[in-house]
Amino acid sequence: MQTDARRKRSENRYLNNMKKHWMLYLMILPGIAYYVIFKYVPLAGSVIAFQDYQIFNGILGSPWVWFENFVFLFTYQDFYQVLRNTAVIAFYQLIFGFPAPIILALLFNEVRWMLAKRTLQSLFYLPHFLSWVVVGGIVFELLATQGVMNQIRGWFGFEPILYMQGERYFRSIVVLSGIWKEAGWGTIVYLAAITGINPNLYEAAVMDGANRWKQTIYITLPSMAPTILVLFLLNIGNFLELGFDQIFNLLTPMTYSVGDIIETYVYRAGVLQGQYSVTTAIGLFQSVIGFILLWIFNRLARKSEQGLW
Amino acid sequence: MRLSFGEKSFNALNYAFLTAAAATMIMPLLHLLAMSFSSPIAADSKKVFLLPVEFTTGSWAHILQTEELWRSFGITVYITVVGTLISMFFSLLTAFPLSRREFLLRKPVMLGIVITMIFNAPMIPFFLTVRELGLMNSLWALIIPGVIGTFNMIIIRTFFMGIPGELDDSARIDGCSDFRILFQIYLPLSKPVLATVGLFYAVGYWNTFQRAVLFLRDPSMWPLQMKLRSYLTTPEELAAVNLFLGDYDFNTTTLKAATIIFATIPIILVYPYLQKYFVKGAMLGSLKE
Repeated sequence: MQTDARRKRSENRYLNNMKKHWMLYLMILPGIAYYVIFKYVPLAGSVIAFQDYQIFNGILGSPWVWFENFVFLFTYQDFYQVLRNTAVIAFYQLIFGFPAPIILALLFNEVRWMLAKRTLQSLFYLPHFLSWVVVGGIVFELLATQGVMNQIRGWFGFEPILYMQGERYFRSIVVLSGIWKEAGWGTIVYLAAITGINPNLYEAAVMDGANRWKQTIYITLPSMAPTILVLFLLNIGNFLELGFDQIFNLLTPMTYSVGDIIETYVYRAGVLQGQYSVTTAIGLFQSVIGFILLWIFNRLARKSEQGLW
Repeated sequence: MRLSFGEKSFNALNYAFLTAAAATMIMPLLHLLAMSFSSPIAADSKKVFLLPVEFTTGSWAHILQTEELWRSFGITVYITVVGTLISMFFSLLTAFPLSRREFLLRKPVMLGIVITMIFNAPMIPFFLTVRELGLMNSLWALIIPGVIGTFNMIIIRTFFMGIPGELDDSARIDGCSDFRILFQIYLPLSKPVLATVGLFYAVGYWNTFQRAVLFLRDPSMWPLQMKLRSYLTTPEELAAVNLFLGDYDFNTTTLKAATIIFATIPIILVYPYLQKYFVKGAMLGSLKE
Protein backbone atom coordinates (compact mmCIF):
# COMPACT_ATOMS: atom_id res chain seq x y z
CA MET A 1 0.00 0.00 0.00
CA GLN A 2 2.74 2.30 1.02
CA THR A 3 4.70 1.75 -2.18
CA ASP A 4 1.53 2.33 -4.17
CA ALA A 5 1.07 5.66 -2.50
CA ARG A 6 4.63 6.57 -3.19
CA ARG A 7 4.33 5.61 -6.83
CA LYS A 8 1.16 7.66 -7.06
CA ARG A 9 2.97 10.64 -5.64
CA SER A 10 5.87 10.36 -8.07
CA GLU A 11 3.43 9.96 -10.96
CA ASN A 12 1.78 13.12 -9.83
CA ARG A 13 5.12 14.80 -9.62
CA TYR A 14 5.81 14.03 -13.28
CA LEU A 15 2.31 14.93 -14.38
CA ASN A 16 2.42 18.23 -12.57
CA ASN A 17 5.84 18.94 -13.95
CA MET A 18 4.67 18.15 -17.46
CA LYS A 19 1.62 20.36 -17.06
CA LYS A 20 3.63 23.22 -15.71
CA HIS A 21 6.47 22.98 -18.19
CA TRP A 22 4.73 21.41 -21.17
CA MET A 23 6.64 23.70 -23.47
CA LEU A 24 9.97 22.22 -22.41
CA TYR A 25 8.63 18.77 -23.20
CA LEU A 26 7.44 19.99 -26.57
CA MET A 27 10.82 21.54 -27.30
CA ILE A 28 12.76 18.38 -26.59
CA LEU A 29 10.58 16.26 -28.88
CA PRO A 30 12.39 16.93 -32.18
CA GLY A 31 15.71 16.26 -30.46
CA ILE A 32 14.49 12.98 -29.01
CA ALA A 33 13.00 12.00 -32.35
CA TYR A 34 16.33 12.71 -34.02
CA TYR A 35 18.32 10.59 -31.58
CA VAL A 36 15.82 7.76 -31.72
CA ILE A 37 15.56 7.66 -35.50
CA PHE A 38 19.17 8.22 -36.48
CA LYS A 39 21.04 6.73 -33.52
CA TYR A 40 18.91 4.15 -31.77
CA VAL A 41 17.00 2.71 -34.73
CA PRO A 42 20.27 1.96 -36.59
CA LEU A 43 21.69 0.52 -33.38
CA ALA A 44 18.67 -1.78 -33.14
CA GLY A 45 18.94 -2.41 -36.87
CA SER A 46 22.21 -4.15 -36.15
CA VAL A 47 20.14 -7.30 -35.65
CA ILE A 48 20.43 -7.85 -39.38
CA ALA A 49 23.91 -9.13 -38.53
CA PHE A 50 22.05 -12.25 -37.34
CA GLN A 51 19.87 -12.45 -40.41
CA ASP A 52 20.18 -13.11 -44.07
CA TYR A 53 18.88 -9.62 -44.71
CA GLN A 54 16.99 -9.19 -47.94
CA ILE A 55 16.27 -5.67 -48.95
CA PHE A 56 12.73 -6.33 -50.21
CA ASN A 57 11.64 -8.33 -47.18
CA GLY A 58 13.01 -5.95 -44.58
CA ILE A 59 14.06 -6.89 -41.07
CA LEU A 60 10.77 -8.56 -40.19
CA GLY A 61 10.62 -10.72 -43.31
CA SER A 62 14.25 -11.76 -43.56
CA PRO A 63 15.25 -15.22 -42.35
CA TRP A 64 17.28 -15.57 -39.17
CA VAL A 65 20.62 -17.24 -39.56
CA TRP A 66 21.94 -16.43 -36.09
CA PHE A 67 25.73 -16.71 -36.04
CA GLU A 68 26.23 -17.82 -39.62
CA ASN A 69 27.54 -14.40 -40.70
CA PHE A 70 30.03 -14.38 -37.87
CA VAL A 71 31.15 -17.92 -38.66
CA PHE A 72 31.62 -16.81 -42.24
CA LEU A 73 33.66 -13.79 -41.11
CA PHE A 74 35.99 -15.75 -38.90
CA THR A 75 36.80 -18.16 -41.71
CA TYR A 76 37.25 -15.39 -44.25
CA GLN A 77 40.72 -14.28 -45.26
CA ASP A 78 39.81 -10.68 -46.15
CA PHE A 79 38.31 -10.10 -42.72
CA TYR A 80 41.59 -10.79 -40.96
CA GLN A 81 43.47 -8.48 -43.26
CA VAL A 82 40.99 -5.64 -42.72
CA LEU A 83 40.89 -6.26 -38.98
CA ARG A 84 44.68 -6.31 -38.78
CA ASN A 85 44.98 -3.08 -40.76
CA THR A 86 42.42 -1.39 -38.54
CA ALA A 87 43.96 -2.60 -35.30
CA VAL A 88 47.52 -1.74 -36.32
CA ILE A 89 46.63 1.78 -37.48
CA ALA A 90 44.48 2.32 -34.38
CA PHE A 91 47.37 1.20 -32.20
CA TYR A 92 49.81 3.57 -33.93
CA GLN A 93 47.35 6.40 -33.57
CA LEU A 94 47.02 5.67 -29.88
CA ILE A 95 50.77 5.58 -29.33
CA PHE A 96 51.74 8.53 -31.50
CA GLY A 97 48.55 10.46 -32.16
CA PHE A 98 47.07 10.54 -28.67
CA PRO A 99 50.10 12.06 -26.85
CA ALA A 100 50.77 14.59 -29.63
CA PRO A 101 48.33 17.28 -28.40
CA ILE A 102 49.45 16.75 -24.80
CA ILE A 103 53.08 17.36 -25.68
CA LEU A 104 52.11 20.28 -27.89
CA ALA A 105 50.03 21.82 -25.10
CA LEU A 106 52.98 21.52 -22.69
CA LEU A 107 55.22 23.24 -25.24
CA PHE A 108 52.65 26.00 -25.80
CA ASN A 109 52.49 26.44 -22.07
CA GLU A 110 56.19 27.28 -21.97
CA VAL A 111 55.75 30.05 -24.53
CA ARG A 112 55.58 33.17 -22.39
CA TRP A 113 55.40 35.76 -25.15
CA MET A 114 51.63 36.08 -25.61
CA LEU A 115 51.66 37.46 -29.14
CA ALA A 116 53.81 34.57 -30.35
CA LYS A 117 51.66 32.10 -28.46
CA ARG A 118 48.46 33.34 -30.02
CA THR A 119 49.90 33.46 -33.52
CA LEU A 120 51.28 29.95 -33.22
CA GLN A 121 47.99 28.63 -31.91
CA SER A 122 45.94 30.14 -34.73
CA LEU A 123 48.23 28.46 -37.22
CA PHE A 124 48.01 25.12 -35.43
CA TYR A 125 44.20 25.22 -35.26
CA LEU A 126 43.77 25.93 -38.96
CA PRO A 127 44.14 22.42 -40.45
CA HIS A 128 41.32 21.14 -38.24
CA PHE A 129 38.91 23.15 -40.38
CA LEU A 130 40.07 21.69 -43.69
CA SER A 131 38.25 18.66 -45.03
CA TRP A 132 39.98 15.32 -45.43
CA VAL A 133 39.44 15.63 -49.16
CA VAL A 134 41.54 18.79 -49.13
CA VAL A 135 44.14 17.35 -46.76
CA GLY A 136 44.26 14.16 -48.82
CA GLY A 137 44.79 16.30 -51.93
CA ILE A 138 47.61 18.17 -50.22
CA VAL A 139 49.24 14.93 -49.06
CA PHE A 140 49.07 13.39 -52.53
CA GLU A 141 50.45 16.58 -54.05
CA LEU A 142 53.37 16.91 -51.62
CA LEU A 143 54.30 13.25 -51.87
CA ALA A 144 53.87 12.86 -55.63
CA THR A 145 56.79 11.83 -57.80
CA GLN A 146 57.08 15.49 -58.80
CA GLY A 147 56.15 16.70 -55.36
CA VAL A 148 58.05 18.75 -52.80
CA MET A 149 59.25 15.76 -50.77
CA ASN A 150 60.89 14.21 -53.80
CA GLN A 151 62.23 17.60 -54.86
CA ILE A 152 64.04 17.82 -51.53
CA ARG A 153 65.29 14.25 -51.87
CA GLY A 154 66.56 15.24 -55.29
CA TRP A 155 68.80 17.97 -53.86
CA PHE A 156 70.63 15.32 -51.88
CA GLY A 157 70.86 13.08 -54.88
CA PHE A 158 68.28 10.52 -53.78
CA GLU A 159 65.94 8.76 -56.15
CA PRO A 160 62.28 9.79 -55.97
CA ILE A 161 59.98 7.55 -53.94
CA LEU A 162 56.42 6.60 -54.83
CA TYR A 163 55.11 7.33 -51.35
CA MET A 164 51.39 7.03 -51.94
CA GLN A 165 51.67 3.79 -53.87
CA GLY A 166 54.05 2.19 -51.43
CA GLU A 167 52.71 -0.23 -48.85
CA ARG A 168 55.62 0.65 -46.59
CA TYR A 169 54.62 4.26 -46.10
CA PHE A 170 50.85 4.19 -45.94
CA ARG A 171 50.38 3.78 -42.20
CA SER A 172 52.99 6.38 -41.33
CA ILE A 173 51.30 8.79 -43.70
CA VAL A 174 47.94 8.13 -42.03
CA VAL A 175 49.32 8.74 -38.55
CA LEU A 176 51.37 11.79 -39.50
CA SER A 177 48.59 13.44 -41.49
CA GLY A 178 46.24 12.81 -38.58
CA ILE A 179 48.64 14.50 -36.18
CA TRP A 180 49.18 17.36 -38.60
CA LYS A 181 45.46 17.99 -38.93
CA GLU A 182 44.20 17.47 -35.38
CA ALA A 183 47.02 17.79 -32.83
CA GLY A 184 46.79 21.59 -32.65
CA TRP A 185 43.04 21.51 -32.18
CA GLY A 186 43.42 18.80 -29.55
CA THR A 187 45.54 21.11 -27.39
CA ILE A 188 42.51 23.28 -26.55
CA VAL A 189 41.16 20.91 -23.94
CA TYR A 190 44.54 20.37 -22.34
CA LEU A 191 45.34 24.08 -22.30
CA ALA A 192 42.02 24.62 -20.54
CA ALA A 193 43.08 22.08 -17.95
CA ILE A 194 46.43 23.84 -17.53
CA THR A 195 44.71 27.20 -17.10
CA GLY A 196 42.74 25.74 -14.22
CA ILE A 197 45.83 24.88 -12.19
CA ASN A 198 46.21 26.86 -8.99
CA PRO A 199 49.19 29.24 -9.42
CA ASN A 200 50.07 28.82 -5.74
CA LEU A 201 51.27 25.34 -6.55
CA TYR A 202 53.89 26.76 -8.90
CA GLU A 203 54.94 29.40 -6.40
CA ALA A 204 55.40 26.80 -3.71
CA ALA A 205 57.38 24.64 -6.11
CA VAL A 206 59.64 27.55 -7.05
CA MET A 207 60.28 28.18 -3.35
CA ASP A 208 61.33 24.56 -3.08
CA GLY A 209 63.73 25.15 -5.93
CA ALA A 210 61.87 23.39 -8.75
CA ASN A 211 62.92 24.45 -12.24
CA ARG A 212 60.54 24.51 -15.19
CA TRP A 213 61.13 20.90 -16.07
CA LYS A 214 60.38 19.79 -12.53
CA GLN A 215 57.30 22.03 -12.43
CA THR A 216 56.04 20.38 -15.59
CA ILE A 217 56.64 16.86 -14.30
CA TYR A 218 55.36 17.34 -10.77
CA ILE A 219 52.61 19.93 -11.19
CA THR A 220 51.40 20.48 -14.75
CA LEU A 221 51.26 16.86 -15.88
CA PRO A 222 49.60 15.46 -12.74
CA SER A 223 47.05 18.27 -12.86
CA MET A 224 46.22 17.33 -16.45
CA ALA A 225 45.88 13.66 -15.56
CA PRO A 226 42.09 13.57 -15.07
CA THR A 227 41.56 15.28 -18.44
CA ILE A 228 44.01 12.95 -20.12
CA LEU A 229 42.29 9.96 -18.56
CA VAL A 230 38.79 10.95 -19.65
CA LEU A 231 39.93 11.67 -23.20
CA PHE A 232 41.84 8.41 -23.25
CA LEU A 233 38.74 6.47 -22.21
CA LEU A 234 36.57 8.18 -24.81
CA ASN A 235 39.27 7.41 -27.34
CA ILE A 236 39.55 3.76 -26.39
CA GLY A 237 35.78 3.26 -26.72
CA ASN A 238 36.08 4.19 -30.38
CA PHE A 239 39.40 2.43 -30.75
CA LEU A 240 38.63 0.71 -34.04
CA GLU A 241 36.77 3.66 -35.53
CA LEU A 242 39.48 5.50 -37.36
CA GLY A 243 37.39 7.88 -39.36
CA PHE A 244 36.13 7.05 -42.81
CA ASP A 245 37.01 10.34 -44.48
CA GLN A 246 40.71 10.21 -43.72
CA ILE A 247 41.44 6.68 -44.88
CA PHE A 248 39.07 6.87 -47.83
CA ASN A 249 40.88 9.95 -49.12
CA LEU A 250 44.37 8.53 -48.68
CA LEU A 251 43.69 5.00 -49.89
CA THR A 252 44.42 3.74 -53.39
CA PRO A 253 43.92 0.19 -54.68
CA MET A 254 47.72 -0.20 -54.44
CA THR A 255 47.59 0.28 -50.68
CA TYR A 256 44.50 -1.83 -49.87
CA SER A 257 46.67 -4.58 -48.42
CA VAL A 258 47.90 -2.33 -45.59
CA GLY A 259 45.32 0.44 -45.48
CA ASP A 260 41.89 -1.05 -46.12
CA ILE A 261 40.17 -0.65 -42.76
CA ILE A 262 36.82 -1.85 -41.44
CA GLU A 263 34.99 1.31 -42.46
CA THR A 264 36.29 1.47 -46.04
CA TYR A 265 35.76 -2.25 -46.46
CA VAL A 266 32.21 -2.07 -45.08
CA TYR A 267 31.51 0.78 -47.48
CA ARG A 268 32.69 -1.17 -50.52
CA ALA A 269 31.26 -4.57 -49.62
CA GLY A 270 28.14 -3.29 -47.87
CA VAL A 271 26.95 -0.10 -49.49
CA LEU A 272 28.34 -0.69 -52.98
CA GLN A 273 27.91 -4.46 -53.28
CA GLY A 274 24.88 -4.87 -51.05
CA GLN A 275 26.29 -7.47 -48.63
CA TYR A 276 24.34 -5.88 -45.81
CA SER A 277 24.26 -8.63 -43.22
CA VAL A 278 27.89 -9.66 -43.31
CA THR A 279 29.16 -6.09 -43.19
CA THR A 280 26.81 -5.26 -40.32
CA ALA A 281 28.30 -8.23 -38.50
CA ILE A 282 31.70 -6.60 -38.96
CA GLY A 283 30.37 -3.29 -37.67
CA LEU A 284 28.86 -5.00 -34.65
CA PHE A 285 32.10 -6.83 -33.99
CA GLN A 286 33.89 -3.47 -34.08
CA SER A 287 31.48 -1.92 -31.58
CA VAL A 288 31.75 -4.88 -29.23
CA ILE A 289 35.54 -4.72 -29.23
CA GLY A 290 35.30 -0.98 -28.49
CA PHE A 291 32.94 -1.62 -25.61
CA ILE A 292 35.08 -4.39 -24.12
CA LEU A 293 38.18 -2.18 -24.27
CA LEU A 294 36.29 0.71 -22.72
CA TRP A 295 35.03 -1.55 -19.93
CA ILE A 296 38.48 -2.96 -19.18
CA PHE A 297 40.22 0.41 -19.16
CA ASN A 298 37.45 2.04 -17.16
CA ARG A 299 37.88 -0.63 -14.49
CA LEU A 300 41.61 -0.02 -14.45
CA ALA A 301 41.03 3.73 -14.27
CA ARG A 302 38.63 3.41 -11.39
CA LYS A 303 41.19 1.43 -9.42
CA SER A 304 43.64 4.33 -9.52
CA GLU A 305 41.47 7.40 -9.91
CA GLN A 306 38.06 8.05 -11.35
CA GLY A 307 36.73 6.49 -14.54
CA LEU A 308 33.96 7.46 -16.90
CA TRP A 309 31.37 5.77 -14.68
CA MET B 1 63.91 37.58 -14.03
CA ARG B 2 67.22 36.06 -15.06
CA LEU B 3 67.09 32.83 -16.92
CA SER B 4 69.58 30.04 -16.52
CA PHE B 5 71.49 28.76 -19.54
CA GLY B 6 69.33 25.65 -19.60
CA GLU B 7 66.14 27.67 -19.68
CA LYS B 8 67.43 29.95 -22.39
CA SER B 9 68.38 27.07 -24.62
CA PHE B 10 65.10 25.32 -23.94
CA ASN B 11 63.21 28.48 -24.88
CA ALA B 12 65.20 28.85 -28.08
CA LEU B 13 64.58 25.23 -29.03
CA ASN B 14 60.91 25.42 -28.12
CA TYR B 15 60.32 28.54 -30.21
CA ALA B 16 62.28 27.07 -33.10
CA PHE B 17 60.36 23.80 -33.01
CA LEU B 18 56.93 25.42 -32.68
CA THR B 19 57.68 27.93 -35.42
CA ALA B 20 58.86 25.22 -37.77
CA ALA B 21 55.82 23.06 -37.03
CA ALA B 22 53.49 26.03 -37.43
CA ALA B 23 55.12 26.76 -40.78
CA THR B 24 54.15 23.28 -41.98
CA MET B 25 50.52 24.18 -41.23
CA ILE B 26 50.44 27.01 -43.73
CA MET B 27 53.17 26.18 -46.22
CA PRO B 28 51.34 23.37 -48.04
CA LEU B 29 48.51 25.79 -48.80
CA LEU B 30 50.92 28.49 -50.00
CA HIS B 31 52.68 25.89 -52.12
CA LEU B 32 49.43 24.85 -53.78
CA LEU B 33 48.53 28.49 -54.31
CA ALA B 34 51.87 29.03 -56.01
CA MET B 35 51.33 25.89 -58.10
CA SER B 36 47.93 27.07 -59.25
CA PHE B 37 49.50 30.24 -60.68
CA SER B 38 52.48 28.53 -62.27
CA SER B 39 52.90 27.39 -65.83
CA PRO B 40 52.34 23.69 -66.45
CA ILE B 41 55.97 23.18 -67.44
CA ALA B 42 57.29 24.82 -64.29
CA ALA B 43 54.82 22.87 -62.14
CA ASP B 44 55.95 19.53 -63.51
CA SER B 45 59.66 20.28 -63.46
CA LYS B 46 59.98 20.54 -59.68
CA LYS B 47 60.65 24.25 -59.64
CA VAL B 48 57.71 25.66 -57.70
CA PHE B 49 57.94 26.19 -53.97
CA LEU B 50 56.18 29.09 -52.34
CA LEU B 51 56.16 31.52 -55.26
CA PRO B 52 54.64 30.99 -58.69
CA VAL B 53 57.08 30.25 -61.48
CA GLU B 54 56.23 31.61 -64.95
CA PHE B 55 53.09 33.25 -63.59
CA THR B 56 49.85 32.45 -65.38
CA THR B 57 46.19 32.52 -64.50
CA GLY B 58 45.42 29.72 -66.96
CA SER B 59 44.34 27.10 -64.39
CA TRP B 60 42.15 29.55 -62.55
CA ALA B 61 40.54 30.77 -65.76
CA HIS B 62 39.85 27.15 -66.63
CA ILE B 63 38.31 26.06 -63.33
CA LEU B 64 36.36 29.29 -62.89
CA GLN B 65 34.73 28.60 -66.23
CA THR B 66 33.85 25.05 -65.31
CA GLU B 67 30.13 25.05 -64.77
CA GLU B 68 30.12 21.70 -62.94
CA LEU B 69 32.40 23.10 -60.29
CA TRP B 70 30.23 26.15 -59.74
CA ARG B 71 27.21 23.93 -59.57
CA SER B 72 28.68 21.85 -56.76
CA PHE B 73 29.88 25.08 -55.14
CA GLY B 74 26.30 26.33 -55.20
CA ILE B 75 25.02 23.08 -53.70
CA THR B 76 27.56 23.35 -50.91
CA VAL B 77 26.69 26.97 -50.20
CA TYR B 78 23.04 25.95 -50.11
CA ILE B 79 23.45 23.05 -47.69
CA THR B 80 25.83 25.10 -45.57
CA VAL B 81 23.38 27.97 -45.15
CA VAL B 82 20.19 25.92 -44.87
CA GLY B 83 21.82 23.15 -42.85
CA THR B 84 23.46 25.51 -40.38
CA LEU B 85 20.21 27.38 -39.75
CA ILE B 86 18.22 24.19 -39.26
CA SER B 87 20.90 22.64 -37.08
CA MET B 88 21.14 25.74 -34.91
CA PHE B 89 17.39 25.85 -34.45
CA PHE B 90 17.05 22.24 -33.37
CA SER B 91 20.20 22.32 -31.26
CA LEU B 92 18.83 25.30 -29.34
CA LEU B 93 15.48 23.62 -28.88
CA THR B 94 17.18 20.50 -27.54
CA ALA B 95 19.82 22.23 -25.42
CA PHE B 96 17.39 24.52 -23.63
CA PRO B 97 15.26 21.96 -21.76
CA LEU B 98 18.39 19.93 -21.02
CA SER B 99 19.91 22.96 -19.32
CA ARG B 100 17.00 23.50 -16.92
CA ARG B 101 16.78 22.01 -13.51
CA GLU B 102 12.99 22.00 -13.51
CA PHE B 103 12.92 19.68 -16.52
CA LEU B 104 12.60 16.29 -14.86
CA LEU B 105 13.72 14.22 -17.85
CA ARG B 106 17.00 16.11 -18.01
CA LYS B 107 19.21 13.33 -16.69
CA PRO B 108 17.72 10.33 -18.52
CA VAL B 109 17.60 12.17 -21.85
CA MET B 110 21.16 13.42 -21.40
CA LEU B 111 22.29 9.90 -20.61
CA GLY B 112 20.54 8.60 -23.72
CA ILE B 113 22.37 11.20 -25.79
CA VAL B 114 25.79 10.62 -24.28
CA ILE B 115 25.42 6.88 -24.90
CA THR B 116 25.20 7.61 -28.63
CA MET B 117 28.57 9.33 -28.41
CA ILE B 118 30.16 6.15 -27.15
CA PHE B 119 28.20 3.69 -29.28
CA ASN B 120 28.07 4.77 -32.86
CA ALA B 121 25.51 2.98 -34.96
CA PRO B 122 27.21 0.74 -37.51
CA MET B 123 27.38 2.19 -41.02
CA ILE B 124 25.08 -0.25 -42.79
CA PRO B 125 22.03 -0.06 -40.49
CA PHE B 126 22.45 3.73 -40.57
CA PHE B 127 22.58 3.65 -44.35
CA LEU B 128 19.50 1.41 -44.53
CA THR B 129 17.57 3.63 -42.12
CA VAL B 130 18.25 6.74 -44.16
CA ARG B 131 17.32 4.89 -47.33
CA GLU B 132 14.07 3.58 -45.81
CA LEU B 133 13.18 7.18 -45.05
CA GLY B 134 13.42 7.92 -48.76
CA LEU B 135 16.35 10.30 -48.44
CA MET B 136 18.56 8.62 -51.06
CA ASN B 137 19.63 11.03 -53.78
CA SER B 138 18.22 13.98 -51.92
CA LEU B 139 20.17 16.90 -50.50
CA TRP B 140 18.21 16.40 -47.27
CA ALA B 141 20.31 13.28 -46.76
CA LEU B 142 23.24 15.62 -46.16
CA ILE B 143 21.36 17.56 -43.49
CA ILE B 144 18.70 15.59 -41.63
CA PRO B 145 20.67 12.47 -40.58
CA GLY B 146 23.17 14.65 -38.74
CA VAL B 147 21.05 17.66 -37.95
CA ILE B 148 22.08 17.81 -34.30
CA GLY B 149 25.79 17.57 -33.59
CA THR B 150 25.93 16.20 -30.07
CA PHE B 151 29.14 18.02 -29.23
CA ASN B 152 27.73 21.33 -30.49
CA MET B 153 24.47 20.84 -28.64
CA ILE B 154 26.39 20.21 -25.40
CA ILE B 155 28.38 23.41 -25.93
CA ILE B 156 25.12 25.38 -26.09
CA ARG B 157 23.71 23.55 -23.09
CA THR B 158 26.79 24.20 -20.98
CA PHE B 159 26.61 27.88 -21.84
CA PHE B 160 22.89 28.03 -20.97
CA MET B 161 23.56 26.43 -17.61
CA GLY B 162 25.92 29.29 -16.82
CA ILE B 163 23.18 31.89 -17.27
CA PRO B 164 21.83 32.89 -13.83
CA GLY B 165 18.40 31.44 -13.09
CA GLU B 166 17.11 34.70 -11.58
CA LEU B 167 16.90 36.06 -15.10
CA ASP B 168 14.25 33.66 -16.28
CA ASP B 169 12.47 33.65 -12.91
CA SER B 170 11.73 37.32 -13.34
CA ALA B 171 10.80 36.79 -16.99
CA ARG B 172 8.41 34.05 -15.94
CA ILE B 173 6.77 36.34 -13.42
CA ASP B 174 6.24 38.76 -16.26
CA GLY B 175 4.43 35.96 -18.05
CA CYS B 176 7.10 34.82 -20.51
CA SER B 177 6.72 31.30 -21.88
CA ASP B 178 9.75 28.98 -22.05
CA PHE B 179 9.86 29.51 -25.79
CA ARG B 180 10.10 33.26 -25.37
CA ILE B 181 12.66 32.93 -22.61
CA LEU B 182 14.80 30.89 -24.97
CA PHE B 183 14.52 33.18 -27.98
CA GLN B 184 14.20 36.61 -26.37
CA ILE B 185 16.33 36.31 -23.26
CA TYR B 186 18.82 33.51 -23.74
CA LEU B 187 19.62 34.03 -27.41
CA PRO B 188 20.78 37.64 -27.15
CA LEU B 189 23.02 36.62 -24.25
CA SER B 190 24.54 33.75 -26.18
CA LYS B 191 26.10 35.49 -29.16
CA PRO B 192 29.67 34.20 -28.64
CA VAL B 193 28.55 30.63 -28.22
CA LEU B 194 26.17 30.88 -31.17
CA ALA B 195 29.01 32.17 -33.33
CA THR B 196 31.19 29.25 -32.27
CA VAL B 197 28.60 26.57 -32.78
CA GLY B 198 27.46 28.19 -36.01
CA LEU B 199 31.04 28.06 -37.26
CA PHE B 200 31.37 24.39 -36.29
CA TYR B 201 28.15 23.49 -38.07
CA ALA B 202 29.01 25.57 -41.12
CA VAL B 203 32.46 24.00 -41.43
CA GLY B 204 30.88 20.59 -40.97
CA TYR B 205 28.42 21.20 -43.80
CA TRP B 206 31.08 22.78 -45.97
CA ASN B 207 33.25 19.69 -45.53
CA THR B 208 30.42 17.14 -45.83
CA PHE B 209 31.83 14.13 -47.54
CA GLN B 210 30.91 10.76 -46.09
CA ARG B 211 27.16 11.31 -46.27
CA ALA B 212 27.48 12.42 -49.86
CA VAL B 213 29.46 9.26 -50.63
CA LEU B 214 26.78 7.15 -48.98
CA PHE B 215 23.61 8.78 -50.17
CA LEU B 216 24.15 10.68 -53.42
CA ARG B 217 24.48 8.49 -56.48
CA ASP B 218 23.69 11.24 -58.95
CA PRO B 219 26.87 13.23 -59.73
CA SER B 220 24.87 16.31 -60.64
CA MET B 221 23.94 16.64 -56.94
CA TRP B 222 27.44 16.28 -55.60
CA PRO B 223 28.57 18.92 -53.14
CA LEU B 224 31.95 20.57 -53.54
CA GLN B 225 33.99 18.05 -51.56
CA MET B 226 32.71 15.15 -53.66
CA LYS B 227 33.41 17.02 -56.86
CA LEU B 228 36.85 17.94 -55.60
CA ARG B 229 37.52 14.32 -54.75
CA SER B 230 36.47 13.17 -58.20
CA TYR B 231 38.69 15.80 -59.83
CA LEU B 232 41.62 14.79 -57.67
CA THR B 233 41.29 11.15 -58.65
CA THR B 234 40.52 11.76 -62.33
CA PRO B 235 41.90 15.22 -63.14
CA GLU B 236 41.63 14.43 -66.85
CA GLU B 237 37.89 15.00 -66.57
CA LEU B 238 38.48 18.48 -65.27
CA ALA B 239 41.09 19.18 -67.91
CA ALA B 240 38.77 17.96 -70.66
CA VAL B 241 35.99 20.50 -70.10
CA ASN B 242 36.09 23.87 -71.86
CA LEU B 243 38.90 22.80 -74.16
CA PHE B 244 37.35 24.80 -76.97
CA LEU B 245 38.66 27.87 -75.18
CA GLY B 246 42.00 27.12 -76.76
CA ASP B 247 44.69 28.33 -74.40
CA TYR B 248 46.28 25.28 -72.77
CA ASP B 249 47.90 27.23 -69.99
CA PHE B 250 47.33 24.52 -67.42
CA ASN B 251 47.82 20.84 -66.78
CA THR B 252 46.39 18.34 -64.32
CA THR B 253 48.87 19.32 -61.60
CA THR B 254 48.08 23.03 -61.67
CA LEU B 255 44.35 22.32 -62.05
CA LYS B 256 44.35 20.08 -58.99
CA ALA B 257 46.15 22.76 -57.00
CA ALA B 258 43.65 25.41 -58.09
CA THR B 259 40.60 23.27 -57.22
CA ILE B 260 41.97 22.46 -53.76
CA ILE B 261 42.52 26.15 -53.06
CA PHE B 262 39.12 26.97 -54.55
CA ALA B 263 37.40 24.62 -52.10
CA THR B 264 39.37 26.05 -49.18
CA ILE B 265 39.04 29.79 -49.79
CA PRO B 266 35.77 30.29 -47.88
CA ILE B 267 37.19 28.60 -44.79
CA ILE B 268 40.36 30.68 -44.93
CA LEU B 269 38.23 33.80 -45.30
CA VAL B 270 35.99 33.25 -42.28
CA TYR B 271 38.70 31.75 -40.10
CA PRO B 272 40.33 34.99 -38.84
CA TYR B 273 36.98 36.56 -37.94
CA LEU B 274 35.64 33.67 -35.94
CA GLN B 275 38.87 32.67 -34.33
CA LYS B 276 38.35 34.75 -31.24
CA TYR B 277 35.21 32.81 -30.43
CA PHE B 278 35.86 29.20 -31.15
CA VAL B 279 38.52 28.46 -28.58
CA LYS B 280 36.24 29.50 -25.77
CA GLY B 281 33.41 27.54 -27.30
CA ALA B 282 35.48 24.41 -27.72
CA MET B 283 36.48 24.65 -24.08
CA LEU B 284 32.86 24.98 -23.01
CA GLY B 285 31.99 21.75 -24.75
CA SER B 286 34.76 19.81 -23.17
CA LEU B 287 34.17 17.44 -20.36
CA LYS B 288 31.50 19.11 -18.32
CA GLU B 289 29.27 16.84 -16.26
